[in-house]
Amino acid sequence: MEELDLSEKINKRIALIKDDVLSGKINLLELQLNPIFSEIKNSINIHNIENYSQSYVNALELLNDKFEELKNLLSSLDIEKKFEAFLKTHPNEDQIFDIFRGCWRKTFHFEPISLKFLDYASNRYIKERITHYTIEHLTKEETNDQFLLEVPRYKFTEKIGAFYDKIKKKLPCFFEDVFDNELDQIEIYEQFVYLLHLLQLGKIKYQKDTNTLYI
Amino acid sequence: MNEISVLMYMLSRKKSIHQIGATKKEILKSLNVKNKNKSVYFQDLLTGLSKYLEPLGLQIIFNSLNSHWFINYDNELTELISANPFEGRPSLSATLLCVLTSCLKNSGHTSIQEIRALRNKKDVKDDIKILEKEGFLELDKKTTNIRLTPLIGYKLDLQKLFVRLALKLKE
Repeated sequence: MEELDLSEKINKRIALIKDDVLSGKINLLELQLNPIFSEIKNSINIHNIENYSQSYVNALELLNDKFEELKNLLSSLDIEKKFEAFLKTHPNEDQIFDIFRGCWRKTFHFEPISLKFLDYASNRYIKERITHYTIEHLTKEETNDQFLLEVPRYKFTEKIGAFYDKIKKKLPCFFEDVFDNELDQIEIYEQFVYLLHLLQLGKIKYQKDTNTLYI
Repeated sequence: MNEISVLMYMLSRKKSIHQIGATKKEILKSLNVKNKNKSVYFQDLLTGLSKYLEPLGLQIIFNSLNSHWFINYDNELTELISANPFEGRPSLSATLLCVLTSCLKNSGHTSIQEIRALRNKKDVKDDIKILEKEGFLELDKKTTNIRLTPLIGYKLDLQKLFVRLALKLKE
C-alpha cells in the first residue's frame, strides 16, 4: 500500500481526456468522472499525498469544465423564448446594456502582416544566410593624404633647433648633465628624443666610454 | 516560415468588417495538409498554438456563426481594454438585443417593423443604420429585411450572454 502511487497515471489520463474533449472525440457531459475521483480516493495515503495534490487539481478542473458545459446546455435551451421573456419585462436601455456586461470580446487582428510578406521574408532569410566567411586580404595602395596624427615637420625642426641652442653652451658635458634642470619626466623624454635626432644628424657627438656629449 | 507564422497570420487576418480569422479548410489548404488524419493534425496545431498564446493573454476561439477560427484577448485583458463597442450608447445595445431575439425566433431574419415593435419605440432607423455601419447587421433597403452578420459571434460571448439572461430571468 505504501508504494502505490497512481498520481502520474491519473494525470496522464486526465490530459488525454482533455485532448479528446478538445478534438471533439468525446463529450464531457457524457463522460463519467466518478472513476477518476474514486481512484484518487482509493490510492491516496499519507506517503503519496504530496504527489496527489496536482491530480486532484486536474480532476477538479475537469469537473469544473463539465459544470460549465452543463450550464451552457441548460442556458441555451429555448433561448429565443428566454430572450422574448426578458424583453416582455420591458427592461429599460440601461438594464439591457447591463445584460451585455462582461460578454463583450476583443478580437486580435494584426493587419500589417500578410502571407505574401511572410513568404518573401522567409525566402529572403534563407537566401541571404551566409554560412562560410572568406577572408580576403586588402591590397595596399599609395596615398598622398595627410593624417591628423602626423606632426608638421617645421615645428619639430624648430623644437630640435631650440633644444640645440639651449644645450650647446653646456657642451662638452656628461650625458645626464643635459637634463640637469628638468624634473618633468615627459619633458625629459621629449628632450631625449631631440638629442637622439641631433646625434643622428651629427650635430652633437657622443663618446660612450666617458659618457660625454660634445660638438 | 513555420506553421506558427502561417497560423498566426490566418487567425489574425481581417477579411472584411465581419470576417476575421479562417476556416479549418482554409488553414489546412494554406498549410498544404492533405493526409488522412488532417483533423487530428489541425486540432494538435491549434492546441499547440493556444499553449504559446496563453501566456500572452490571447486565446483561440471558434465563431460558430461562420465557422471561422480566430484569436481573441482573454477575459483579463478584455476587462482592461474597452471591448464594449456601445460604451455610452445603451440605445444601440437595446436595439441589438431586439435584433438578436427576433433573428433567433425567425431563423436568422427580421424586419424594421418587428424591431420597432419589440423595442416599443417609434424610430429605430438611426440605431439600425449605425449597427449596419459597424458591421453587426445587413439591411435590405428594398424589403427592410434585416439579417445579422457573423460579427456578433466575434464581438459577443453568446454563451455567456445566454447564462446572464437566464440568471436575470430567475431574479
